[in-house]
Amino acid sequence: MKRILAQCAKELTQFRRDQLTVALAVLLPMATLLIFGYAIRLEANNIPLAVQDLERSPTSRAFADRFYATNQFVPAHWDGRGAPEALLDAGTAKVVLIIPSDFSRRLDAGKVAPIQALIDGTDSNNARVIRNSVRQVTNFYLSTRSETAPTIALRSRLWFNPGREEALYIVPGVFALVLAIWPPLLMAIAMVREKEQGTIIQVFASSLSAAEFLLGKGLAYFLVGVAQAVAVFGLGAVLFGLRLAGDPTPLAIGTVAMLAASVSYGLFIGTRTTTQSAAVQAVATSGFLTALLLSGFIYPLSNIPFPLSLVSNIVPARYFIEITRDAFVRGTGWPGIWFAPLLLAVLGGVFFLASFRSLKRMQLPG
Amino acid sequence: MTSLHPAESLQQTAPDAPAIVVQGLVKRYKQLAAVDGIDFAVRRGEVFGLIGPDGAGKTTTFQILAGVMEPTAGTASVLGRPPRDARLKIGYITQPFSLYLDLSVDENLRYSAELKQVDEALFEERRARYLKLVDLDRFADRLAGQLSGGMKQKLALCAALIPQPEILLLDEPTTGVDPVSRREFWDVLAALSEEQVTVVVATPYLDEAERCHRVALMYGGRLESPDTPARLRAGLGLARLEVHASDLERAEQVLQTLEAVEDVQTFGDRLDVLVADPERGERAVADALSGLSPQVGRADPTLENVFVTRLRQQGSDPPLLNFPHPLRRSAPAEAVAIGAHQLGKTFGSFRAVHDLSLEVHPGQIYGLLGANGAGKTTTIKMLCGLLPPSTGSVTLAGESDGLRSSELRRRLGYMSQKFTLYDDLSILQNLEFYCGVYSVPRRLRRERIDWVIDICGLRGQENLITGQLPGGWKQRVAFGASVMHQPEVLFLDEPTSGVDPLARRQFWRLIEMFARAGTAVLVTTHYLEEAEHCHRLGFMVAGELVIQGTPGEIKARQPGQIYEVVSADLPHAARALRSLFAQASWRVALFGDRLHVVLDEPDARLAKLQAVGHTRKIEYSLEDAFIGMVQRARQEGS
Repeated sequence: MKRILAQCAKELTQFRRDQLTVALAVLLPMATLLIFGYAIRLEANNIPLAVQDLERSPTSRAFADRFYATNQFVPAHWDGRGAPEALLDAGTAKVVLIIPSDFSRRLDAGKVAPIQALIDGTDSNNARVIRNSVRQVTNFYLSTRSETAPTIALRSRLWFNPGREEALYIVPGVFALVLAIWPPLLMAIAMVREKEQGTIIQVFASSLSAAEFLLGKGLAYFLVGVAQAVAVFGLGAVLFGLRLAGDPTPLAIGTVAMLAASVSYGLFIGTRTTTQSAAVQAVATSGFLTALLLSGFIYPLSNIPFPLSLVSNIVPARYFIEITRDAFVRGTGWPGIWFAPLLLAVLGGVFFLASFRSLKRMQLPG
Repeated sequence: MTSLHPAESLQQTAPDAPAIVVQGLVKRYKQLAAVDGIDFAVRRGEVFGLIGPDGAGKTTTFQILAGVMEPTAGTASVLGRPPRDARLKIGYITQPFSLYLDLSVDENLRYSAELKQVDEALFEERRARYLKLVDLDRFADRLAGQLSGGMKQKLALCAALIPQPEILLLDEPTTGVDPVSRREFWDVLAALSEEQVTVVVATPYLDEAERCHRVALMYGGRLESPDTPARLRAGLGLARLEVHASDLERAEQVLQTLEAVEDVQTFGDRLDVLVADPERGERAVADALSGLSPQVGRADPTLENVFVTRLRQQGSDPPLLNFPHPLRRSAPAEAVAIGAHQLGKTFGSFRAVHDLSLEVHPGQIYGLLGANGAGKTTTIKMLCGLLPPSTGSVTLAGESDGLRSSELRRRLGYMSQKFTLYDDLSILQNLEFYCGVYSVPRRLRRERIDWVIDICGLRGQENLITGQLPGGWKQRVAFGASVMHQPEVLFLDEPTSGVDPLARRQFWRLIEMFARAGTAVLVTTHYLEEAEHCHRLGFMVAGELVIQGTPGEIKARQPGQIYEVVSADLPHAARALRSLFAQASWRVALFGDRLHVVLDEPDARLAKLQAVGHTRKIEYSLEDAFIGMVQRARQEGS
């Protein structure tokens, strides 16, 4: 134990000595949080909408105004000349609404009044969102017009995130992303640097065991990781108003498990690579891609097709996202996510054993 | 002598059992046999020297003995155990430096003590003792990365000594260390050996090898049977003649054709001529050199003679090939190729270089000498425009501003102390890269690259990854890379450190070849016999240039008189003489198998010298001058 602490102390001294690393270790996670927290918006807002009103009656104008009354659409600038499709081509509007010249006549006669919405389908996901919005606004307009109430009224309500605040969805995911990338990156660099600079030979020449060496090094970067976690949780609370929704213990224990898995992953990469650039690329690519795409951060896990879905099972971020989303949004606590910290701990153990295996002889290769 | 090792740490196994036994040791990397079946045993308390050319397998042998690598076949046992199990009793100094550059001296020592399980109280006590011993106590808080090359090696020794090992494995510990510090380093080793610490040491300095109890010559993964330096010298079966002549270069050419002469080597300001029969040889040499006012003296062969002769027999003498398509230069000889005027550099409150002025002309070789940390590297960095000076001005190839312009840089060559090659590229790729950087004309590239590969003796191995080469070979490739464009001005910062004696000779012939073609060369070295090749020397002490002149002028300006003392029991003689001088014990310096003693008033003490051993008056060598200047400066400083 004493030798593990000695190893850890030396590691922290080296870490502190390099001002740039310290700055990056603190700033990069925060920058990640800011970029993802502010830049990713899955819901469409401020969609430029143009209206070709062929009727120009009070009814058609009232209908068109309904769209601008929501915060989803904004008027697209159009002088009314030329074909409306040109607006989509030019990208000045994402959707063009064409109201036929007999719009109010047909409505007043109680007939179906067809209107046309041309939607930019370049981004199919977005197009779907826009179509739904157009439909909702139309329905709402119809319901305000009819004196007779419809027989069935659906009143849906979003549970857990009633205001549909997107930050509540994105930011807990960013926490997982940050802890999946930055601690293992620092860890892998620290590990591979010993090999690159030949300093590991003196370690081999002592009787320090592989487990002591790895634990000591890992502990140092685990502590650095704790600091990073506290920093991003704090920033999340200040900027995005995230508050704990329930029992804090799953988050605390989950974070410890996540950092253990993350740091072990860094050790694993560090013991298997020989240069810093290789280690950085390995961690950045594998950590970033999996944490972003295979963790349920943006795309639902159920959408991942078969062979890839297996990979997602060994992505630590996947389990940590469940923990953070529960802690900050759902608040069910242990009954809902008891398995996640457990699986993280298992993953951490597997990565640690893998690094131990490649280092256990404590000898030069060859 | 103070006791370096308290008795309680000594081992309890049978005292006469060998400390290290190696039998049939083989280490193969893929198809290459780095160590190819070696056997030897080292007695407890013995200083055992391993000498051999670069790539002979010395480092691999050390790695196996230190327990950090498994042999392919054969066994090594240290203190009667497999090396792995004896690790806590072993101190290992690796090559290159393997301590943490971003930790301070103290932090490094503390960490390595913790690795070796030294307990806190003992650590504090030993830390103070050994730091003082290697003269680093003032630098405890400095980062290891900011120490000079020699100080790093001393730190490595200090870190290795704190656990009080019974075995010290030292892989070229004095590479890059100045002559004064080297002697101090070896004095420490001698003291440790008397405390029954077993030392295995590799060194490219053959005068150091003379201080080993036994020496083994290693080449191509094989080891010749070890023997005492005296017996190795006698076993050569040749006599050595020291020849001084007015024109050494001519004399060497003449003697090489002579039948009675087995070998000729330039060594400092003299030629070492090996002959089978001393009397006939002496006559033949004197006759052949009649026009060059020769002085011929008889002497015993040195280990360097043994080493060089053996290696030549092995055919590992690197070839000397003419540079392909050299450019003709017509710069007037009085032009200033490198000029410095009252140059100064301060880092914070530390004055690294102060008021330094020098001039180097085209075709001239200027040697910058000084102890580790005297400011040589800082000076070179300022001269070649890498580091802006705090005061003063620099002239380069006739230009005094725009020192970093790409046009001017193309006319420079710079080989720094740290390797300037990319470790992860192959040798060929590195050379191609430097051809591109220095805009070597396309039609010449092929031939120039071939030339570098041939002089390095790496034909057929061009595609090896540079990082896998032994230090001495990298050094050769780096030298090649820095001269491929035939620069007008060439800066060489310790080009020969860590390079074996044969390759060193080749280096200097190449340097002289470039100088003859009009290149101005500024070079630093710790091999002072090499410095004789320089046309002019400048000597730095604590950032100041204290003396400049030709080698002859510098030697002539030294005060006092030098006597050489030869004694059968050298350590005893050294101790006896040092006690004579008390505070000025530096006046007694070991040179291979003899002592050099500096006397300011010879008459008073000569008798005492004669009482210790056979004494004769000799001329100052550059190394004597170096030691004298550094030590006198140190005395004034303290």
